[in-house]
Amino acid sequence: MLSESTVWDILSLATSRGADFAEVYVEESRHRGVELLDSKIDSVSDGVTFGVGIRVVRGEETFYTHSSDDAPEVLLRLTRDLTVQSAGGGASAPLHPMELTDRHPVRVDPSAVSKQDRVDMLRRLDGFSRREGEGIKQVGAGLTEKKKSLLIANSEGLWVTDTRHYSRLRLGVIAQKDSGPQTAAESPGVLGGYEFFMGLDGQALAEDVSRRAGVMAGAGYIEGGVMPVVLGNGFGGVIFHEACGHPLETEAIRKNSSPFADKMGQMVAGPLLTAVDDGTLANHWGSFNVDDEGMAPQRTVLIENGVLRGFLADRTGASKAGVVRTGSGRRESYKYAPVARMRNTYITAGPHTVEEIIASVDYGLYAKRMGGGSVDPSTGEFNFSVQEGYIIRGGQLAEPVRGATLIGKGAEVLPLISMVGNDLALAAGMCGASSGWVPTTVGQPTLKIDRILVGGR
Amino acid sequence: MDSVKAVDYLLALAREHHLPDVDVMLERGESLSVRVFRGRVEKLDQSATLGVGVRVVDQGRTGLAFTERLSESALETVFLAAKENARLMDPTEVVMAPPQNPAGRPEDLELYNPALESLKVEDLTRLALEIEALARQEDPRLAEVTSLGVSRSSGETRVVSTHGLDTTQRANRVGAYCQVLLKQGDFRKSGGHSWSRREWNPAEAAQTGPQAVRRGAALLGAAPLPHGPLAVVLDEHTAPQLLGMFFGAFSGEAAQKGQSPLKGRLGDQIGGKTVTLLDDPHRVGAGGSRWLDPEGIATRPLTLIQNGVFANFLYHVESARREGGLSTGHAGRSLGGGVSTRLHNLVMPLGGETVAQLAAMPTECLLVTDLEGGSGCNGLNGDISIGVQGILYRDGQPVRPVDSVTIAGNFYDLLNHIQGVGNFYQPNLSSLFIPPLLVEGLVAAGE
Repeated sequence: MLSESTVWDILSLATSRGADFAEVYVEESRHRGVELLDSKIDSVSDGVTFGVGIRVVRGEETFYTHSSDDAPEVLLRLTRDLTVQSAGGGASAPLHPMELTDRHPVRVDPSAVSKQDRVDMLRRLDGFSRREGEGIKQVGAGLTEKKKSLLIANSEGLWVTDTRHYSRLRLGVIAQKDSGPQTAAESPGVLGGYEFFMGLDGQALAEDVSRRAGVMAGAGYIEGGVMPVVLGNGFGGVIFHEACGHPLETEAIRKNSSPFADKMGQMVAGPLLTAVDDGTLANHWGSFNVDDEGMAPQRTVLIENGVLRGFLADRTGASKAGVVRTGSGRRESYKYAPVARMRNTYITAGPHTVEEIIASVDYGLYAKRMGGGSVDPSTGEFNFSVQEGYIIRGGQLAEPVRGATLIGKGAEVLPLISMVGNDLALAAGMCGASSGWVPTTVGQPTLKIDRILVGGR
Repeated sequence: MDSVKAVDYLLALAREHHLPDVDVMLERGESLSVRVFRGRVEKLDQSATLGVGVRVVDQGRTGLAFTERLSESALETVFLAAKENARLMDPTEVVMAPPQNPAGRPEDLELYNPALESLKVEDLTRLALEIEALARQEDPRLAEVTSLGVSRSSGETRVVSTHGLDTTQRANRVGAYCQVLLKQGDFRKSGGHSWSRREWNPAEAAQTGPQAVRRGAALLGAAPLPHGPLAVVLDEHTAPQLLGMFFGAFSGEAAQKGQSPLKGRLGDQIGGKTVTLLDDPHRVGAGGSRWLDPEGIATRPLTLIQNGVFANFLYHVESARREGGLSTGHAGRSLGGGVSTRLHNLVMPLGGETVAQLAAMPTECLLVTDLEGGSGCNGLNGDISIGVQGILYRDGQPVRPVDSVTIAGNFYDLLNHIQGVGNFYQPNLSSLFIPPLLVEGLVAAGE
């Protein structure tokens, strides 16, 4: 991707001009996307992104530059522009290749499968979706694939290469009934090859999404207020991701701006709650063999039986926050310097069945499937829409409801989790922050939150 | 290969392959940004990006591909991929045609200020440090300036086609953002402000810090509201933010594909008689201004809602031809994507009231200064359910800050319940010109 001599010249130039640490990140990503809408193939595209990112650290300062021109003279000029001649720094260490074990094998090479196969798969999904649901008005389906090849080298002698294959499917359905149109969507994905699409049960997926759209198109509006909420498993974990995960990243910790910054070792949740962030899970969407600054990922316990146990740290964050690195340095592409980000983050399974949890609520909301949301990491204030919701009345599921939004503060909601289900499930998502959009997994078993504000009419 | 040669090479490949309908998009960008923390530069970023996208139309079938590598072999690969992709598509009404005559010269739109290119790291750093220093002086309850950056950026997009289109759009800007955390007892509140212009005015930009602090401080001690109907004043920032989530409904393509509730409603009264909305692609200095769209169609101002009556959908060539009509010049295009519908600059004419006057019109109202995300807003059916923060007003006087509350309703009901329109737009570089609005008919959910 870039010759060893060019990399060595960049690192040597940076350190000779006063850098304490220098890094070269080279990326070539091959993208493929096929989209279907309105029962027609709407878009077929291929693309190549390529570029080199150069990071230089001197004292407390980080300098970053990137370019899609890999000519050695261009990269050396950029390095020179980035560094001001100063005392200090040192020599770059000799480069040593790092041996990687591939934990995320590709069983079917995507390049060995025709584009027509992908087109046929989307047409089948369209057919399943229109056949299975009630009042289905529109179906959109798409697949995205990326083969990302990396080289990371640094002035400490690191030289590591890796290739990541990402495969993801998206299915969205619009259903229309008397109370207007509603959408439902699902987007499973893996760090893996075409075997993911081959093994997917398209009919079951289409049935589920179409059923959900149909149910919600017939739903009335929820009356808002504070009430108990049962959060469904899987993508329900997006709330923990946003409201607690982000404030546990060293970007927030090192600035003392996180509600959890001074809580290490303290009870921050009920004793039933344990949460981890694990970058090692085989072929999971948020996993990798090596993070974007060359460290092998770990399983990091964030909260153990309610006690805060860990933060997520990249190189810079670890140094500034005074914590250990966790192999969490991530970036969308060569256009970003890495920062600590979540990988596969989930609340572990607990002792309760879903039926027990529902039966414990006299009146409340069962948020079976969450939509999107956002959080202010400084305050932990979050908001999330509910894509599929039902009223719970007298411990029984009752009518479906639409228009529900959950509002709260992460640190205040954690202690209110009083029941944890035994049905842990994980779901793929994309997380956006200062180092761009990265694949992350969220997950949880079904949870009961004793009270939370539900927005509605 | 340089970018000019890359474009020529791709068009030569089109001729060689006997493909008469091909266009090439070239995107170039540069940026320089400085982030500071506690009186020191924390991070300096400089970037240069360049990419080429190819669109092949073959008997109504569109194939797309892009690359950031500009070697001859990479360009040939991308061209062949676009050609192959076209074969897999279903045919549509899309055609390529010679470009129309633009109504003005690029410089008339004032999208590019060459003076900004001379701004150095030192200039940006000086401003960032001043913003931080002023923020720290503003309020003793400030706990931290959590995020602060100043940047300048420029971009150039060129579209060249086998039909003679060759249009280049160049724009630049300078901007600053500041995010702060305030604490008062157990209360924590964030405040944020940003500044984005085409003129370098460091004295004005330095106020980004104090303004961020004031926005956060105003919300310290906030508490929820009881459940019930609520009059709401959306300020100059939140009005365009909220309404902007629903303007995809004006796309003709969305209506054709069952994704717009406005389908079949042309000529209907969809808003109050005071509501007028237009798209103005020729607004000088605005974020979305252009003379030609990427399909080479001359842009023109278009009324969407006139005195509450739904007047026009937006079309690109393919969606217009699907209905036997002509494009309204509302094509958008990205490097890796195909043609989509694009609003240029959405404008709601100014009313006569200040925010204080709007807040004094009802007996009680919530002045909304912050929207919390947008995931509860559904462009498909107009549903609104969103967390908000702001200031409760009673009899025209601010009473107390409010948080932990949602407002719920529907965008199309909202258009019928606009009771007052403000007399100014938010001052930053934008393509949404929506003044503050007084809206009734929403429901608050809180304690």
